[in-house]
Amino acid sequence: MNPFREDLVSRNRPETCSVVIFGATGDLTHRKLIPALYNLAVNGELPTGVNIIGFARREKSDEEFRTGLNELNKKVSRSGHDEEIWGKFIESVSYHCSEFTDAEGYASLAKRLDEVDAGRGGKGNRLFYIASAPEFFDDILLNLKGAGLNEAKEGCWSRVIIEKPFGTDLKTAKHLNHIVRETFHECDTYRIDHYLGKETAQNLMVLRFANAIFEPLWNNRYISHIQITCSENLGMEGGRGGYYEKSGALRDMVQNHLLQLLSLVAMEPPTDLSADGIRDEKVKVIRSLRQWDTPEKVAKNVVRAQYTAGHVDGNPVPGYREEDRVSPTSDTEAYVAVRLLIDTWRWSGVPFYIRMGKRLPKKSTEISVHFKDAPSVLFNALPGGVPGGNVLVIRIQPDEGISLRMVSKIPGTSLRLEPVKMDFHYSTSFGKGSPEAYERLILDAIAGDATLFARRDEVEEAWRFIDHIERAWHDSENPPKMAGFVAGSWGPRESDEMIKQDGFAWRRL
Amino acid sequence: MDIYAELGKEVNVSDIDRELRQLWEHDEARTNASLMNLVVYAERPNGLLENSRIISDLTRENACRAILVEINREEQASLRAWITAHCHLSHGQKSVCCEQIAFRLTGRVPGRFRNTVFSHLNSDLPLVFWWQGELSDVFTERLASVMDRLIVDSSSWQNVSASFARIHEAVRDSTTLVVQDLAWTRSWQYRVGIAGLFDDTVAQSILGKVENVRLKYHPDSHTTATQILAWLVVQADWKIISATQLENKEGGKINLFMEAGESFAPLGLVELASGKTTVRVSQEKGAAHLLREIVSASHHVSSLSPADPEAPAELVAQQLSRGGKNSLFLKILPSFLQLLSQAPAASLKSSE
Repeated sequence: MNPFREDLVSRNRPETCSVVIFGATGDLTHRKLIPALYNLAVNGELPTGVNIIGFARREKSDEEFRTGLNELNKKVSRSGHDEEIWGKFIESVSYHCSEFTDAEGYASLAKRLDEVDAGRGGKGNRLFYIASAPEFFDDILLNLKGAGLNEAKEGCWSRVIIEKPFGTDLKTAKHLNHIVRETFHECDTYRIDHYLGKETAQNLMVLRFANAIFEPLWNNRYISHIQITCSENLGMEGGRGGYYEKSGALRDMVQNHLLQLLSLVAMEPPTDLSADGIRDEKVKVIRSLRQWDTPEKVAKNVVRAQYTAGHVDGNPVPGYREEDRVSPTSDTEAYVAVRLLIDTWRWSGVPFYIRMGKRLPKKSTEISVHFKDAPSVLFNALPGGVPGGNVLVIRIQPDEGISLRMVSKIPGTSLRLEPVKMDFHYSTSFGKGSPEAYERLILDAIAGDATLFARRDEVEEAWRFIDHIERAWHDSENPPKMAGFVAGSWGPRESDEMIKQDGFAWRRL
Repeated sequence: MDIYAELGKEVNVSDIDRELRQLWEHDEARTNASLMNLVVYAERPNGLLENSRIISDLTRENACRAILVEINREEQASLRAWITAHCHLSHGQKSVCCEQIAFRLTGRVPGRFRNTVFSHLNSDLPLVFWWQGELSDVFTERLASVMDRLIVDSSSWQNVSASFARIHEAVRDSTTLVVQDLAWTRSWQYRVGIAGLFDDTVAQSILGKVENVRLKYHPDSHTTATQILAWLVVQADWKIISATQLENKEGGKINLFMEAGESFAPLGLVELASGKTTVRVSQEKGAAHLLREIVSASHHVSSLSPADPEAPAELVAQQLSRGGKNSLFLKILPSFLQLLSQAPAASLKSSE
């Protein structure tokens, strides 16, 4: 018990530890993880004595590793690059060269960590961050166990953060969960989904449960439907096509990020703010999704598409099948729209629509809650009628914020109605920038707070839902067709028709 | 030339609302943002101009309607008002602006002050009241009753105990008013640093047997140094025996060394030691960072963390961004006042 902690920070206490990053030479480590740790140090939030070891296959000295990190940190760090703090911070960073499959490399890692712990009276906490290519996840976990690094010393902890993708389907996710269970306790396992570290995603629960005006309306009595949109204007630049060909929009974004957002929007109030209290409610949402378990149901409720050549931001762009590292006969979707139904008392009859696509007109992620129209007995006789209903929009990125669309009278002697928007921008109201999602999530893992990480059952339930769709697309005799749309447009006509069948339209972003 | 031109457009008090509306009516490129009413009150000459510059900085991160007040009781009764907006580019794109109303009141003040200021608050937004300098007869229970947050700087007070007693009296029936002291804010990073160091098992092991506590500070920061000492005393459950001695729960004696010197940073050192183990946070004068260290026979860890700011605007910005009830400050207040009475600033040894 540390009495000096009282009232300083309203969060779990981050404890000093050794952080071992697997895949230390990769882009994620250089662009996100090390800058996140550095920014925590800049803010004074990184516990004193944290020791960082990069673990990777490439031959490198500590100095070479540090030089590479230094160069990129200067370019990408959110809070700039302070030479004095960086100099102190980088002293704690070192490099450990080993194949991921080489047990010897883990034995020497264990020895190295023991040496670090020797200065702490033989005790030490360990955080293993697996940011390698997914094919090495098993090897890393099993070798950590082989070297005894999965077990914490008495009075200490040993935790593991696992990057996405957490499996490529239910079977592989179960297999990975099995390996994780064999090596680490579930309470020490942190499956990262960086969307949950974003400020607006965290604010979702506050919006719903700390404001008395929303929760009474948050049900099928007042809400007509909900849309979750994640649009990207980029395509397959930078060799991304190779990875994307194996995943596609559904597995890359919907299975994890967008279903996580859906569960935050649709969950019941948790009994408390504990990690499991919240995750218990989130998983119930995913479990209650009506399954599209036949090709016919998939054809009716899911649209997949690829873009053809077009223009984005005024520049010509190639079609998906002409992109770098993409097969000319590819059947990987670069766009997906899904209609979901949640079979619970609260959401009975309320469709949720998720759409995600590459090469759409702009980059944006948002949730829009569309309320039912007011009874139009008073104003329906007016020219133009009542223009649309109330829409609450929660913008996840960019320009994080919340807006509410209402109907208002246009000033004048006649009675004419127009929609108006009340808008709250984080950046305008709080000039202070939000921390990067990885900063928050790494600090949470160090502090032992798993609230913003996915639990085993959440991951498996999400894959169960996704697997039916993937099977209908790739394993059925009569697979639903792949639609097409021109790059730079808002997706295929089929997607518009799917939502139109329910009497709605995609929100124009 | 009017020295107040910097405050914007001079307006009749009765026209303020209309003039503010006109400020925005024809300007769609700018967004008017406000999360609170921030009243900045000063009973000193040039308070308005200084505070207008502070508000210009403060509104970069804290959108508010700023109401600046300068009082001068020596002059004939008069009331002048100015309006302006402080605009900043948000993320290099949007121009986000905050309104400022400045009042200069002269002559008899109390009743006129309340009426003038409170009729120009943005409704439904919290009222943060930054009182600069000594408390005066304007500070009353009635005034305090409409505040949500009162910011003071006890390091600028002549009689700290008496002033805190006045605040206590004024706010005792309030369940919502939060009192924040900038002198306390100045020790934030030190407290975070010490708390962080005591997460370490080596540091934890000496907590019950600390033998020496040493503080070094600039003479201007006596209040802040005494507050952080009070915090150590309260949180470690120590007893104050004298100006140079404390006692732990088991009755063990703890030597207290407080050294003020012109060559020190505002807070230059806070150190707790037992045997060969020392836990310390320190700052060189003028340095931008604090050095956190644990030094023992077998163990030496150190890291840098940001230093606490000195500029009032930054201190207030920190207070505003942290929010909270500041209950820890109220908890340490009795020990702080006890320590002050035992070791008034003038009696301390100076290193210069």
